[in-house]
This record gives sequence, structure tokens and C-alpha cells, in this order.
Amino acid sequence: MASVSELYDVGWEEMRDKLRKWREDNSRNSEQIVDVGEELISDHASKLGDDVWIIYEQVMIAALDCSRDDLALTCLQELRKQFPDSHRVKRLTGMRLEALERYDEANKHYDAILEDDPTNTAARKRKISILKAQGKNGEAIRELNEYLEQFVGDQEAWHELSELYINEHDYGKAAFCLEELMMTNPHNHLYCEQYAEVKYTQGGLENLELSRKYFSQALRLNNRNMRALFGLYMSASHIAASPKVSAKVKKDNIKYAAWAANQINRAYKVSICKQHSDILKTTSFT
Amino acid sequence: MPIQLTSQAYCKMLLHTAKYPHCAVNGLLIAEKSKEKKKDGHGVPVLCVDCVPLFHGTLALAPMLEVALTLIDTWCKENNYIIAGYYQANERKKDSKPNQVAEKVAARITENFSEAAIVMVDNSRLTVSCSEPIVVIYDHHENKWRNREVTMGSFEDWSEAQKITSALLVGRSYENLIDFDNHLDDLRNDWTNPVINKSVLDLC
Repeated sequence: MASVSELYDVGWEEMRDKLRKWREDNSRNSEQIVDVGEELISDHASKLGDDVWIIYEQVMIAALDCSRDDLALTCLQELRKQFPDSHRVKRLTGMRLEALERYDEANKHYDAILEDDPTNTAARKRKISILKAQGKNGEAIRELNEYLEQFVGDQEAWHELSELYINEHDYGKAAFCLEELMMTNPHNHLYCEQYAEVKYTQGGLENLELSRKYFSQALRLNNRNMRALFGLYMSASHIAASPKVSAKVKKDNIKYAAWAANQINRAYKVSICKQHSDILKTTSFT
Repeated sequence: MPIQLTSQAYCKMLLHTAKYPHCAVNGLLIAEKSKEKKKDGHGVPVLCVDCVPLFHGTLALAPMLEVALTLIDTWCKENNYIIAGYYQANERKKDSKPNQVAEKVAARITENFSEAAIVMVDNSRLTVSCSEPIVVIYDHHENKWRNREVTMGSFEDWSEAQKITSALLVGRSYENLIDFDNHLDDLRNDWTNPVINKSVLDLC
């Protein structure tokens, strides 16, 4: 089996930089991380300097995702040797227990961290993840709400909560979480677009109009967001088709929908995806 | 009319599941439109020749699902296909029951195809060797979705499906599988998956 460096003709610096990029993007491409990281650690650990510890952590978590307990344990042991009393490493120990489905032991680990340091957010979030893994969505939602009362600025937590609510079909509460995120991240087109999707799913004329406005806002923030463009088309079309709207509202929305359809067609033409641009001509879109 | 899966349909479903192990995934099952109206349609299986992977992650939002259904429906009409079913693999390993999303989408499909089926992937039995079929098929009877025993007869050719799926999983072909979400991220991504389809054909 050829090594990563042979297959892709890369040196150890490129591999290290790739791992850093994946850390910064928070991508969950665990198989790739394991492939690149394992080789980097075994062949070039001495060259990595202090970076090696964060790489051990990153590779360990990816290894858990890929059921590579051997690799995970190796990384964990190196980290334990270097940072014997660290809560951060204790959390990794807990995560390994979670991966082995030893949830009671994992919870004990996290409880021990929290006794020592009640403000340790990582341990609290892992406990909530365990509830989610066990299918206890109701409890996970309760705990996450309590957590957010204390740590109101934790955006990752607000986003997780919005997803939990969406999975429970509680779209009103999911919208509330996304509103929090939009307030603190007014330039993030993804939050706008997701909020619009939730409103659309909730249904009803008022929510459809809100959804159209937020799809438009998402487009203003990023005019290449295809979901926002499609969403604008769909919401405007539905509003125009509603028997409850005035003639003016109907006319305006037909205009918006037509504009969106035009933009969609242009986007497809530019994308060389010929097959699909032909389909659009025959779809009820235009 | 029970559904039957071709190797291409089965393997793309599993590739989609394998590509996003930490997410729920879903997609549509595609059958060829039958030309003759059979008098007694019962007992003749509906052959699902292909599937279109739809989304990964959050499945319970409406707008992109509606877009996908519309576009794929048009594509089907142009190719004499029909949307005949829906597949889903849940987020958690031990959870393989159809949920509200599955039932809603399947109900929508049933409006155009009365024998629509739900195919759930049993994540806990997903292996690279594919030694046994890991799908659970649900039919709509008397207002309820009931699961039916999956046998070799649920496949056009089980041993071919097994061989191809296993080979593509080992070769990590799922890294190149395109779902509708990928298409929305970059329109150049082709959700008909011509590359994977060719790999399947080459292995037949």
C-alpha cells in the first residue's frame, strides 16, 4: 500500500499544512486525517516541534471516527506522557470510552473533570453528546438549554441545539436558535439561509414571506449561495400562488420568482452542467 | 408489487451511507416506467434500476427537498423513469426505523406511484465485505408502513450486487459519490453519478 507522500507526491511540510487547514475548517474527513496524520506522526514526528501535540489530538479523534483504536491509543498515550494532569487529555480519554460505547465510564471521567472545574465547557458538551448518541434527544435538548443559559455566547452549542430541534420537528425553537446566531453573526450567509429554510418548513403565509426575505438576505451576503437562490424562487412562487395575497403582492412575487429563475438558469449555463441546464428549461421553474 | 434492487441502485445507496458515516443520509429510488399496463400487477416486482442520493445531515427541512423532487422528477420524465421509492440511513448506528421524514417523503412519492417503498439501511450491519443484504424494505399496507422480509429475490442479482458493492467500498469510491447537497454546493457536481455508474458497469 503506497504511502500518502508517494501517492500524492507531497512532502511532510505539505502534509502538516493540510492537517492544519483541516483543523481550521473543522472538517470531519476522518479517513483522510488518519491517512495523512498517521504517516506524518510515524515518519516525521521529530520535525513537527510543538505542533506534534495538537496533531496527536487531531489524529486521535479522527482515529476514533474510523474505529482505529490502536492508533487512537498510541496518540492518547503520547499525550498522557506529555500532559499528565491535563483536563484536555482527560476529555480525550472520555471520548475514547464513548467510541467504545462505554458511556457510564465516559460520564464518570467527565464528572471528575467538572468536579475539579465546573466551568469546563468541553466536558459538559461531551456529556450532552453521549445523550445524543444514546438517542435521548429530549434530555440532550434540556441539558443543552441549561448549558446555554450559562454560556450564552457558545455558537457551536446554539447551532447544535438548532439541529436537535429540527430533528424533533420543533421548527419554532430551531428558528429561535438561528436568530441568536444571526444576531451575533450578521454577515454569515449560511445562518440566514438556514433560518429561511426553517421558516419555509414551518409553513403558512407569514413564514413564507419571512423565508423569502431571509433567502434574499443570504443572497445579498453571498450571491453564489445556490440554496438561497432556489429558496427565493420556491418561496416567491408559493406566495404568488397563494389565494390569500393581494394582487400587488402576487405581482411582486411573480417578479421575484422570475428573477430567481433567470439567475438559476444562468448559474447552470456557466457551470458546464449541460444536462441539468436542459432540465431546467422543462421544469415548472421557468 | 414488491420492489427489486439492481446492483447499481444497491451499491450507490451503500456508498452514500459510507461516505457520511456520522450523518443521516437519504435518497430516491428510480425505476423504469413500464410501458404496458398489466391487468394483474400483483406479484410482478418493480425493478429499481438506480438511485439518486439526496442529502446528508439535516433531512427534515422542506425547501431543498422540494427542489430536488422537482428536478429529479423532470429528469425521470426525460429518461422514461419514475420515482419508485425512498431510502434513508439514520444518524445513529442502532437506529434503523423509518421516521417522520421518511414517511412524509414516501407519502409524496406515493401520490405518483402507488407502490412506493421505503428502504431503510441497517447501519449496524454495514461491512466492507457486504456478506448479507443490509436493507429493510417497508411497504404501505392499510395506512401503516410494514417491513417485509428481504431475500435474495429482493435483488436482481444478489451475488453481483454483493461483489460490486464490496469492491467499491474497499476502493473508497464513496469519496467520489455526489449527492444533491454536493450539487447545491457546486453545480458542476453531477447527481446522476456517471463516474460511479461506469465503475459499476465495468465490474458487472
